[in-house]
Amino acid sequence: MADMPFRLRVSFVKNGRLRFLSHLEVVHALERAVRRTELEYAVTQGFNPRMKIAFGPALPVGTAGLDEAFDLWLARLVPSDEAYRMLRASTPEGLAPTEARYVNERGPSLTAAMTLASYEVVVEDPGMGPGRFAEALAGVIGSGSLAIEHKGAHKVYDLTVCLPEGAQVSEEPGRGVVSMTVRMGAWGSLRPEALVREALGRMDAQEASVAVTRTRLRPEEAPAARG
Amino acid sequence: MTGGWDRVEPLLAHVERPARYIDSEFGAVHRGEASYRVALLYPDTYELGMANQAIAILYDRLNAVEGVGAERVFVPASDMASALRNSGVPLLTLEDSRPVAACDLFGITLPYELSCTNVLEAIDLAGLPLHARDRDERHPLIVGGGPCAYDPEPLADFFDAFLIGEGEEAVADIVAAHRAAKDSGMSRSDLLASLALIPGVYVPSLYEPAAGGAAALPRPGTGAPAVVLKRVVKDFDAVRSPACPVVPYMDVVHDRATIEVLRGCTRGCRFCQAGMIYRPVRERSADSVVRDALAQLRCTGQEELSLSSLSTTDHSAIEEILRRLGVALRGRAVNVGLPSLRVDAFGVAMARLVGEGARGGLTFAPEAGTQRMRDVINKNVTEQDLLSTVETAFDAGWRRLKLYFMLGLPTETDEDIRGIGRLVAKVLEVARKATPPAQRGGMRIAVSVSTFVPKAHTPFQWEGQLTLEEVKHRQMVLRESMPRKGVDLHWHDPEVSFVEGALARGGRELAPVIEHAWRSGGGFDAWTEKFSLKRWLEAFEAAGIDPVALASEPRDPMRALPWSHISSGVSEDYLALEREAALTGASTPDCSFDGCTDCGACPALGADIVLAGGHRG
Repeated sequence: MADMPFRLRVSFVKNGRLRFLSHLEVVHALERAVRRTELEYAVTQGFNPRMKIAFGPALPVGTAGLDEAFDLWLARLVPSDEAYRMLRASTPEGLAPTEARYVNERGPSLTAAMTLASYEVVVEDPGMGPGRFAEALAGVIGSGSLAIEHKGAHKVYDLTVCLPEGAQVSEEPGRGVVSMTVRMGAWGSLRPEALVREALGRMDAQEASVAVTRTRLRPEEAPAARG
Repeated sequence: MTGGWDRVEPLLAHVERPARYIDSEFGAVHRGEASYRVALLYPDTYELGMANQAIAILYDRLNAVEGVGAERVFVPASDMASALRNSGVPLLTLEDSRPVAACDLFGITLPYELSCTNVLEAIDLAGLPLHARDRDERHPLIVGGGPCAYDPEPLADFFDAFLIGEGEEAVADIVAAHRAAKDSGMSRSDLLASLALIPGVYVPSLYEPAAGGAAALPRPGTGAPAVVLKRVVKDFDAVRSPACPVVPYMDVVHDRATIEVLRGCTRGCRFCQAGMIYRPVRERSADSVVRDALAQLRCTGQEELSLSSLSTTDHSAIEEILRRLGVALRGRAVNVGLPSLRVDAFGVAMARLVGEGARGGLTFAPEAGTQRMRDVINKNVTEQDLLSTVETAFDAGWRRLKLYFMLGLPTETDEDIRGIGRLVAKVLEVARKATPPAQRGGMRIAVSVSTFVPKAHTPFQWEGQLTLEEVKHRQMVLRESMPRKGVDLHWHDPEVSFVEGALARGGRELAPVIEHAWRSGGGFDAWTEKFSLKRWLEAFEAAGIDPVALASEPRDPMRALPWSHISSGVSEDYLALEREAALTGASTPDCSFDGCTDCGACPALGADIVLAGGHRG
């Protein structure tokens, strides 16, 4: 690969109806949004040239995101505010960019860098009383690990590693909101919904509605504001 | 209007592929202010329907009409259909989540015979009475169109009207007539009578089905024409391709920008319905094709462009079109695809021009294995044509090849079938010789074999279809004659072809069969894993109809057929002469290259062949 010095990092949301998109659908939709602009995107070499673009960690179908990101390599420098304006105009509302800025071409990939993901999980169930849900969730986290069956695969997550900051719960009758930060790594990425469902199962509230939003992605070393 | 969406959204966490139901794609048109509402249905799932050009074109055309809002509808997969029924939510349009039953017009395209059970499923999910006779002014007008409307009788009881032929201009006429009827408070029956006067519109309730499967006749005094002649767009170049079609999020079939470069094909293959019903050939100019292609790519952001038609490499200016697109798209990583290739060096040269070489494979359709059989079907391709084309292609670096053949063509013998095996063996040998030994591991030759199904409005419309037992015998002969190594052999499911054949040339007596099949759980019958022969046989038996006779017994050329009141413009005399020519192995040239062959389409339709470059060949 020849030098591609212009690496534009674009932050975007995934919300509303478009939270039902899969990661691949998001990738595809945003590639097309880039093609709808005048931006001169860089193209990979080889028999089947493709746009040079790379995404952060995947979000599951149904999970919303407020601070997702992709890196787009440009063949020609365009002021970042102008690039942002173009992308904003070409992108559907539910995947709208929130910021675009150039980053160091030699920096690590988004997936390698962004290892901490913060989530907000809203749980609604008529049977939820004050304290019960928080207690059930604390019980799951206190056990230290979570075993999950997903699409036929069996996985055990070490919660002392995956949940470095535990989980905070605010609860009112019928509704609970959980904030948590998940550490991603070679073991994969714990799905907050799985953790919450385990707690709901312990309190016999399997029918509860669970809405998950990833609020932020950040590197572990630099918890300060992005910039 | 969000009321409908609020009822759909909670269901999406529990169904597969929710992206089918969320709308909000780039290019989706929301016309909240429209006073006339059209729901356009493709009778299959979103991912198949989004590939359909008829829906894309009509969506574009209707939304351009003042005061009209057209919205898309697809058939929910069975998990979503159950969720809708269990929650009491009717079938909704995608754009505004509007009940289909609240629309003015419900337009349904009919792409293949086996989509008939999905049509009934959609009408029922919408909460509408299945039969046209049970619907009135309170219900949307249900109008069908597309290839299966050329034998509309099996579905006649369920539709208020059919549009025969091309819809670009005709839909506006239908909408205008319906709006006028609504404004004046006209009854449904008066509306139907006025629709029957629009060229190309067939209103089945105004016709008396004749006994014994013959053509329906107009009831006296209705003013409905004895023969409904298809609509055709004479100046096809003047019709712009949709500039900004909907860009799907999910991975759909044929997910790409599409420009129709020409319409019609007069190569004259005698089994091919499309080759008869879309006449005459009308090419769009190179300027129009390139303009519309670049506009559509720019607006949609698609990474692939397909230049579609029944025979794209026959376009008289195709080389110039590809050259201009190649220059204009340089550096944008856009692939250009040619869906149908001619079996000759020119076809390969055109594929090279769009840089197909290193990626995809090439597809050719010799259809039959012996020259005798190819003469019968008027496939004017010789063994030498095919072999030298394959040699050129593998010399040029292609390693993947797909060949289409048909089993059960009229007059076919076991010897013709063995001819397919021999031809494939020769192709394999030529391809191997043209491929350096180190690269032979990457060679892929696929052979796809379908069962011939005689179709209405073709020279073979009087022929019988093979019985299932005979298909099994011939498949065995073919399997034994195929080279043992180096070929991937694929079959069309012969049971599906058998039911398709019984439905393709039936009359109104088939309505109860289709309804029975749907009521006993039929749906998505074109999907092999959902298809049940048993269910269809039971449905035929319940209606007292023998599907084997319907599909396999030859028809009497002296008697009217169930679709004789529908005309593609090609005369029945011409079809009969072509059938005779088939039986003597005489070939008929392509009129777009070699002059008129008197099929009758141009004079009947008042249309003419249009060639962008002035001449072909």
